[in-house]
Amino acid sequence: MVYVRGRIKRGRRMNQDPLFSSAGELANFVVASNLIDYDLAKNFEFQRCQTAFPCSVQPMVYHPTPNRTIVVFIPSPDCTQYPLPEGGDLVPSPEFKFLCTKECPSVSINRAALTLFLSLHDHLSGLKAQLTEREGQLIITGHSLGGSVASLFTLYLLDSMDKKRKCRPICITFGSPLIGNFGLQHSQWNSFFLHLVSNKDPVPGLFLPSSHSQTTVYKPFGTYLFCSELGCACFDNPDLILKLLAVISSEVAGGLLQVVDYGEILRNLKNKAIWKGPQLAGERFTEPFSAGIIMKLETIGFDQTKLLQHNIDIRRMEAEARSLTKKTKASDIKELNDIKKYMALLEWYKKKSKDAKKGYYDCFKSGEFRRDIAVGEFMGHLNAYWEDMVAEAQWKPQTEGASFRTGWLFSGTTYRRMVEPLDIAAFYRDGGTDYINNGRSQHYKLLQQWYEEDAKPPSRDQLDSRKEKVSALLTEDSCFWAYVEEAILSCESLKNANSSPEQRESSWDNLVMFGEYVMEQIENYAVSPEIFLEESSFMKWWGEYEDYIDTNRNFYSSRLVNFTKRSSYKQYGRRAI
Amino acid sequence: MGETVGNLIGLNDEVIHPAANLAVEAHNSPSKQFLVKKIKIRHDLSSVVVFAFSGSMLPKDWSGQPTFAKTEIATGEFRSLTSLNDGGDAVVNGSFLRRFKDVIGNLSKAKELKEATEKKRQVVFAGYSSGGPIAILATLYFLEKQTPSPRCLTFGSPLVGDRIFGHALRREGWSDYFTHFVMKYDIIPRIMLSPSSTEHEQILDYFKSKFDRKNINPAPPSGFYLTVMGNASSVASYEACRLMGCRNPSLDIIKSFIELSPYRPSGTYVFCTGNGNLVVVKNPNAVLQILIHCAELGESNTAEVEKRSLDEHSAYLSELKDCLGMQAVVSLDGGPATATLNDLGLSPQAMLCLQAAEEFENRRSRNLENFRKYLEKVEVELEKMRKYKENAQISRLGYYDSFKLQNEDDDFHANVSRLELAGMWDEIKEMLKEFELPDDFEKKREIIDLGTKYRRLVEPLDIANFYRHSKDKETGAYVIGGGPRPKRYRFIQRWLEHDEKEEFGSRSESLFWADVEQLGIDIKKKGYVQEIEERIQQVERNLIAWIGDRSLDDDVLLENSTFVKWWRDLPPQHKPKSDRIEKLIGEMSERVTQGTKI
Repeated sequence: MVYVRGRIKRGRRMNQDPLFSSAGELANFVVASNLIDYDLAKNFEFQRCQTAFPCSVQPMVYHPTPNRTIVVFIPSPDCTQYPLPEGGDLVPSPEFKFLCTKECPSVSINRAALTLFLSLHDHLSGLKAQLTEREGQLIITGHSLGGSVASLFTLYLLDSMDKKRKCRPICITFGSPLIGNFGLQHSQWNSFFLHLVSNKDPVPGLFLPSSHSQTTVYKPFGTYLFCSELGCACFDNPDLILKLLAVISSEVAGGLLQVVDYGEILRNLKNKAIWKGPQLAGERFTEPFSAGIIMKLETIGFDQTKLLQHNIDIRRMEAEARSLTKKTKASDIKELNDIKKYMALLEWYKKKSKDAKKGYYDCFKSGEFRRDIAVGEFMGHLNAYWEDMVAEAQWKPQTEGASFRTGWLFSGTTYRRMVEPLDIAAFYRDGGTDYINNGRSQHYKLLQQWYEEDAKPPSRDQLDSRKEKVSALLTEDSCFWAYVEEAILSCESLKNANSSPEQRESSWDNLVMFGEYVMEQIENYAVSPEIFLEESSFMKWWGEYEDYIDTNRNFYSSRLVNFTKRSSYKQYGRRAI
Repeated sequence: MGETVGNLIGLNDEVIHPAANLAVEAHNSPSKQFLVKKIKIRHDLSSVVVFAFSGSMLPKDWSGQPTFAKTEIATGEFRSLTSLNDGGDAVVNGSFLRRFKDVIGNLSKAKELKEATEKKRQVVFAGYSSGGPIAILATLYFLEKQTPSPRCLTFGSPLVGDRIFGHALRREGWSDYFTHFVMKYDIIPRIMLSPSSTEHEQILDYFKSKFDRKNINPAPPSGFYLTVMGNASSVASYEACRLMGCRNPSLDIIKSFIELSPYRPSGTYVFCTGNGNLVVVKNPNAVLQILIHCAELGESNTAEVEKRSLDEHSAYLSELKDCLGMQAVVSLDGGPATATLNDLGLSPQAMLCLQAAEEFENRRSRNLENFRKYLEKVEVELEKMRKYKENAQISRLGYYDSFKLQNEDDDFHANVSRLELAGMWDEIKEMLKEFELPDDFEKKREIIDLGTKYRRLVEPLDIANFYRHSKDKETGAYVIGGGPRPKRYRFIQRWLEHDEKEEFGSRSESLFWADVEQLGIDIKKKGYVQEIEERIQQVERNLIAWIGDRSLDDDVLLENSTFVKWWRDLPPQHKPKSDRIEKLIGEMSERVTQGTKI
C-alpha cells in the first residue's frame, strides 16, 4: 500500500466476466410497451389542430388517467419545418444556472429554444407550481422544437422538485435538436430523459459540425433511442450520440424540408419488436458485448464500414462499460462499512494517544510508534473515499448536489474533524509552512464550506450540552492545529535574533490574533480538552509564548493569558469551568 | 442427445402421454373437478396415480382486480412462498388461486390420494390449459405438507406466479418436481405476460366455443398476436436488460411508467419444436427468453403465425405421441446448443439473451464460490469474538457489559471485529436482494448455522453499542418493527425460523439484552404498571427457556452483569415468583467461583 500525502488510490479490479450490451433490449423494452405511442398520438393529434402561427410552441396539459399527467409542447407547423431560423448559436442563461457543475461552470442554451421557453415563462412557472404538488406519473413531451422546450421545462421542474419529489417525471422528445452545453452524466436527472431520433431525421444533429476535426460545445444528455425501418437501439454515451447525430444530419442534409413521421416509424417498430429478423442464430458469441453493439448499430443504419469511416470505436466503449460494472450496491455497502471501521480504528488511536498524555495530533506528528504508521493507511482509505464523495457532489447540478450531500455531510464533518489534523501534522512534520494556503486539500475546504452553509449558530441550550459533552468532542475547527503550528512559528520568529522588526511585528500580531481565536474556541466549548495534554504542541507553544511574554512583555495581558496562567484549563472538559 | 424426456425430468416416459390424455379429458369435463387414473409402469410394475383437473375458459377465471389479478399467497398452506429477505411475498394469479381453493377440499379427501399415499405410489398432478395452474398449486400444497413428493405435469398451461414464486420454489428445492410442456407458438403459455384486454377475451372466447362444441370450428379471432406478444416481448426485454447488467438508470424510470406483467416461468420447461424434437430447459431466465423469442414472427406472415398460435394449443397430444420415447431431446442447461436453437428458430439477438441468462447463472455460482472463501474470514472473526467473550467471562462481567464500558483494548478490538462482520453480512444481504447468489443460499445448512452463530454472538454487541450511545432517544427502542435493528439480523433470524418451520419472531434470543435494556428504561419512565409487569415476566420466561435450550449463553447470569443488577433491583414482590432465576444466578456464581469451564 502506497501512502502518498494521505491518499490511497481506490483501485477497481478489471472484471473479466463476459459483458453484454443492452442497447437493443432497452430499446425493445420501450417500443414494445405502450409508453411512447400513447404520448406520440397526443402530440400529433394536437399538432394537427394547430393553425399556422408564426414559429411558436404551446403547452397543453391533460390527464388521461387520474394517476397520469401529460404535458405536450406543441410546435407550430412553421417550427417543425424550419426548426431554427436563428441557427445554432448558444447564449449564456442565468435561468439555468442551477445546471452548473465542475465540468460546466457556465451554462449556455440554444438561442431559439431559450427564446421560446422564456416567452412562455410566466405561464410555465404557474404550471410548475401546479405540477410540483401533483402525485403520480408525469410525462413531458414534444416534437422537434417542442421537445427542446419540453426538455428545458423538465429541467426547470426537476430543480424545484428535487427536495420533495412527489411525482415521477419523464421527458420524451421526438426528433428534437440539442439544447445546450451542459451534460448530466453524473446526475440522476440524466435518467429522466428519453430522446427518439430517426435515422432519417436531420434536425437533432442540426447544429453539429459535419467534419470530425471540428468540435462542438453542444452536449447531449439522457438516453437516445435511435430508430430506422429495421429496428432501434438505445445509447447513453454522449460521445457516441454526438457522432451518430452528426452523421445522420450530414447524410440527410438538404432533405431538411421533409418532416419525419414518428407515428409511422413507431407503428413499424412495434411490429419489428416481435420479428426475428432474416437471420437465424449461428454460433455462440465469443464477444457478446461488441457483437450486440455491432448488430444494433447495423440495425439503425451504421454498418462496419460506416463505423470505421466515422471513427466509432466499439472497443473503447467496451472498456468504459467494464469500468462501470464493478460498482454495485453490495460493494457500496461493504465500502461504507469499511469506512466506519477505519473511523473506529482512528478513534481508538486517539484514545490511546490521550492515555499517552500527548494527543493523537502529536503522536502522529512524531510518528514514533508502529501504530502511527498504520494510522497513515487508515487515513489514506478515508481520504480517498471522501475525496470521491466530494467530487461526485461537484459533478452534479448544484441543487441536486446539495441534496445529495445532506445525506452524508454529518459523517463527512466528523471525518474532517478527525482526519484533517493528521494531514496537518504530516504537513508540518515534513517542513511545510502556511498549511491553509499551501497544503489544504480542496475537499476539506468544500466539506467545511458546505457544513457552514447548513449550520445554525449555537443557541444557549446547545452551549450547555456542549459543555457537558466537551470531553468527547472533536475539535470543531479542523484547521485548529494549523493555527497552532503557525503560532509556534511566530514565536520562533520573535525569538530569532535575525528577524526584522517587520517580521517581529507581524508575528506578534499573529500571536495576538491567535490568542483571541483560541479563547473564543474555548468559550464556545469548540475545542477538545486534549489540546491541554502535557505534551501537546499547543502546550509547547504556550510554554514558548509564556516564556516570551515573561521576558519581553511583562505587562501584556489577554484573556487567554489569564485563563491559562490561572490554570483554568485544568477544569476545562470536566463539566464546568 | 441420447436422453429421453423422462430421464431429464425424472419421471418414466410411459407416464407422460397418458397423463396428457387425462389432462385434456379432465379439462373438458367441467362436471368433475378432477379425474384420477392409475398407470402401470411396464418394466418395474410400479403404479403412478395421476390426478388431472378441469378447466375454464371464462375470463373471470383468468383475470381479476388489481391488474393481472395479483394476489399475495404466502399465508397458511403456502407459507414457504415468500422471500426471506426484503423481496416480499410471492404473487400469484388470484383467479387461479380461487379455482384451486374450490378444488382442494375434495382433492384432499379423495380416497385415491389416501390409497396412493398408503401404498407409497408416485402421485402426479396434471393439467392442460387452465387446468395447469390448479395442478401447480395442488402440487405445492402437498409439498408444503411434506407428503411424499408429488410431481406436476402441465401442457400448455398459463403462467401462475411471479419471480419470488419461482425463487421460493428453487430455494426449497421443489423446482424439479414441475414440468411444463409448451408448443413453439401456443399463445396460452404467453398470455399472462400481457395485461387482460379485449384481445385476451377474444382468445378465451374462441377456445371456449371450441371446447364446448367439439365438432364445430369457430371462427378464429385475429389481430391479437401483436398486442399480446408485444407486451410479452416488453417483459422479456426488460428481464434481458437486467440479465445483461444494464447500467442505464432510465430502465427503472421507464419501467415505473409501464405496468409489466409480474408473472415469470418456473420449473422445468419442455419446448416442443414441432418437428419432433423436444428441448428441455431449467434456467428460468432462459425459459422466459425462449418463450418469447421462439414465437417471434419470421418469414411467414402475421396471420399465419396467429392462426398457429391458436391451433398449437390443441396439438399437445399428437405432438407428444410423436416425440416421446424418441431420443431427440436436448437439454439446454449448460449453455445454448446451436443445433437446438435452429430447431427453435431463434435469432442472433435471442442467442445473446440466452448467453446472458446462462452467464447470470454462472455468475451466481461463482459468487457462491467466492463466498466460500469469504465465509472462512467470517469464521476467523467469529473465533476472535468467541475468545473475547470467554475472556470477559473470567472477569465476571460478561462480554456484553465489558463491551458497553469500552475500557479495555479487547473491547476495542471486538468493536473492529463487529464492524468487519457487519460489512460482510451486509454485503451478503445486498447480494441476496439482487438475486446475485444461488436461490437455495438461505436454505443451506452451513450458512444458516454460521449466521445463527454470528447473530447470537455479535448482536448483543450491537445492542450494547446502541444503548451505550443512548440511541433509543433518537430512534426509539432497538426492537420495533422496521426500526433500528440492523436488517442483517432480521434476515438471518428468519432463515432459521423458516428452516425450523417456526413462526416469524420466535427465535429472538439474540434480542434478550435489548428487552432487558428497554425494560430498564421503560420502568424509569412508567413505573411498575401492568404492561411492565407482563414484560418482566416475559423476559424471565424467555431467559429460562433460552438458557434451557442453550440458545442463550448463561454469562447473562454473571453477578455483575446488567441483567443481574437490573433483576436484583426489581421490587421484592417479584422475587417469589421467580426463584428459578435466583437459583440460576446462584449456580452460575458457584461455577465461576469453582473456576469450572462454562
